[in-house]
Amino acid sequence: MSAEGGDPFGTSIKATDQMKQLMVEYYIEAKTTQEKPICWITSGGPVEFLIAMDVIPVYPENHGAMCGASKIAPGLAEVSEEMGFSRDLCSYARLDIGGAVKQEGAIPGGLPKPDFLLCCNNICGTVVKWYEELARYLDVPMFLFDTPFIHTEKTEHATEYVRQQCLELVKFLERQTAKEFTLEKFAETAMLSVQAVELWKGVLKTAENRPSPFTCFDAFIHMAPIVTLRGTQTVVDYYTLLKQEMEERVEQGIGAVTDERFRLIWDNIPIWYAMRSLGDLFAGNHACLVADTYTTAWAIDIQIDDPLTSMADAYTKIYLNIAIDMMLEQLVGLIERYQADGLVMHSNRSCKPYSLGQYDLARAVTERTGKPALIIEADMTDSRVYSEAQVRERVEAFIESL
Amino acid sequence: MGSDALKQLLDMRDDPYARARDWKERTGGRVIGFFCCLAPEEMLHAAGALPVRITGENRPITKSGAHLQSYCCSLARTGLDMALEGELSFMDGTVFVHTCDTMMRLSDIWRLNAGFAVHGDVVLPVRFEGDLAREYAYNELSHFRRKMEEQLGPIDDAALNESIRVYNRNRALLSELYDLRRENPSILPGDHALWLVNSSALMEKVEHNALLEEVLEDLRSSNAQADGKVRLFGVGSAMDQWDFMQMVEEVGATLVDDDFCNGRRYFDTPAPEGDDPVESIAARLWDRQSCACKHHPERDRAACLTDRAKEAGAGGAIFWQFKFCEPHAFDYPHLKKAFDQAGLPSIQLEIEQGSVSIEQLRTRVEALVETIKGAGN
Repeated sequence: MSAEGGDPFGTSIKATDQMKQLMVEYYIEAKTTQEKPICWITSGGPVEFLIAMDVIPVYPENHGAMCGASKIAPGLAEVSEEMGFSRDLCSYARLDIGGAVKQEGAIPGGLPKPDFLLCCNNICGTVVKWYEELARYLDVPMFLFDTPFIHTEKTEHATEYVRQQCLELVKFLERQTAKEFTLEKFAETAMLSVQAVELWKGVLKTAENRPSPFTCFDAFIHMAPIVTLRGTQTVVDYYTLLKQEMEERVEQGIGAVTDERFRLIWDNIPIWYAMRSLGDLFAGNHACLVADTYTTAWAIDIQIDDPLTSMADAYTKIYLNIAIDMMLEQLVGLIERYQADGLVMHSNRSCKPYSLGQYDLARAVTERTGKPALIIEADMTDSRVYSEAQVRERVEAFIESL
Repeated sequence: MGSDALKQLLDMRDDPYARARDWKERTGGRVIGFFCCLAPEEMLHAAGALPVRITGENRPITKSGAHLQSYCCSLARTGLDMALEGELSFMDGTVFVHTCDTMMRLSDIWRLNAGFAVHGDVVLPVRFEGDLAREYAYNELSHFRRKMEEQLGPIDDAALNESIRVYNRNRALLSELYDLRRENPSILPGDHALWLVNSSALMEKVEHNALLEEVLEDLRSSNAQADGKVRLFGVGSAMDQWDFMQMVEEVGATLVDDDFCNGRRYFDTPAPEGDDPVESIAARLWDRQSCACKHHPERDRAACLTDRAKEAGAGGAIFWQFKFCEPHAFDYPHLKKAFDQAGLPSIQLEIEQGSVSIEQLRTRVEALVETIKGAGN
């Protein structure tokens, strides 16, 4: 795996094996547990409460990504399409509902059945409709953690509403688990979550170096633990290891892409089924995707001295829950901090909150930074709407223009 | 002279915004557009403004394609196109209510591109259950009122209570219209009835009330013979295809009740009148029929709708689906099943404004009507 061999990629990341092991163990525990309750949760949900209550969180979106990457998503989506769900609906939702019905998926027998659901709408309104259907189909209780969208201001009454919901969520969990919530356990979980988030931010920060030690395609893979299991010691240990490896790479000048010439920012959820081909395509053109708006979404700030208020605040103001002019500031910030040469936006049919507004954002980013933006049309898991040849042509033309 | 009032209202179909433009010219007041029927119109009305509903229109897209992807619903795409083309220049601003992801992003895009002086967002809760969400809804409505006062001028309690009374009168009249048609649909074609509701959000309420009073006076004493049309129930967001509604009548059917947001959902549930007008508005929103964009765990939308369809004596239903409208598309399989179980056959019609083929839809509606007749409903 070196430049001499003509491989566009640099050395592969050693910690990958540990990450895979960690995720396998996590799914085995979720599939086999006799005593711990299972809760299906949305990717932006306040998982710390579940961890503190010894509930196993299961993420249909993470599973959706796995189904996308392993190219079984369209088959599962068809199951729900036959049930009457439109092909225009979010493909995570379609494949998840199909998987729940068929009890199939990227892990044998599909996801373990939940005892209850925790839906947080800070990523989209789609999850509310999707989880309503799950609650009906699986006949399990659902808690909606409602985080009012921020258009031009974050109001005090909205923060208070979310903060109070934290307390309501605690009561809901106590009822569901027949266990008592303890502040000590929660503080410990929040502390571990903060540590993991800091480490994750540290990992992402190493990509500010030239050459970057990893690409966002690596980050998409290595984000799984921060999404699913933050708040546990295992995750802290894992990111300590990963960060160390990335720092070593920086010291040794090892880049993720051989002869890195262009640095780009990625916007939106990955195109899971095309990760490998896109990775090859960019690396082959000496372009490294050094940062993205997706994996940074889990850089959630919790203040240990007032975890509830700071959690209410952090979960409300995540990237997808703010207006596009606020998103613009973050995009511009990424481009400056990572010294990027351009922006690649995935216009994702499945995700309206992420995609609507991209046309305006692309123009505004170029206006502000002078850096060009490329928009590619695709879907995160539904490969039936993807044209590889077209995307290849557009990416190559874009890199050529840099 | 009821027939004249009816004619005046029906004539608006040729140019839906003509009255709003006239109003502006006549009074010099401000016109505020809004998309969603959850918008607290009374607050705008009490500030002396004229709230006017935008529901897009049949048109090819020229300018909004530079802002919205093709997988976004035509309501947003054509609405934004109208604004960018300057066709809504008689409006002074727009108010958005938090409903679906598309409207949420449209609010940003609109604020940054449409160039209106006034912009408002009402970030209502998505949870429509429990004291916490109810309290938040009240606080958000109060906050919105203050924001509108900053932009439109004072909204005092007395004026707001008066606007609530005016709106409640409108709701009562429209409700009576639907009741009369449930008794005997042949007193007024379904497309006219729905237009009477739709026109309410396009003109000054006091004037609309006066015209409606006249129309209803005629309808109350109508001796129209029952015409034996097949009764249908409509489910969906906004029904703005008047040719379609007319075609339904032509094939021997009529919509007797609906869940459209420019139909029954626009006027259902009066606001309880009291001292605190914000509380009145919040209470109404809370007690209303369920909406696909809101989470009502204690109120099953399928049960609400099938019950109402049965009460209206409907023999079947039409699911009117805007392509790319997520909340309604998500609810469809569940609702369809409930209608099947209630013995109410249905069809789903998926449309995009600007490319509606009435002839294709006619075949589908005819088939539904035949099914219902065959079942002897």
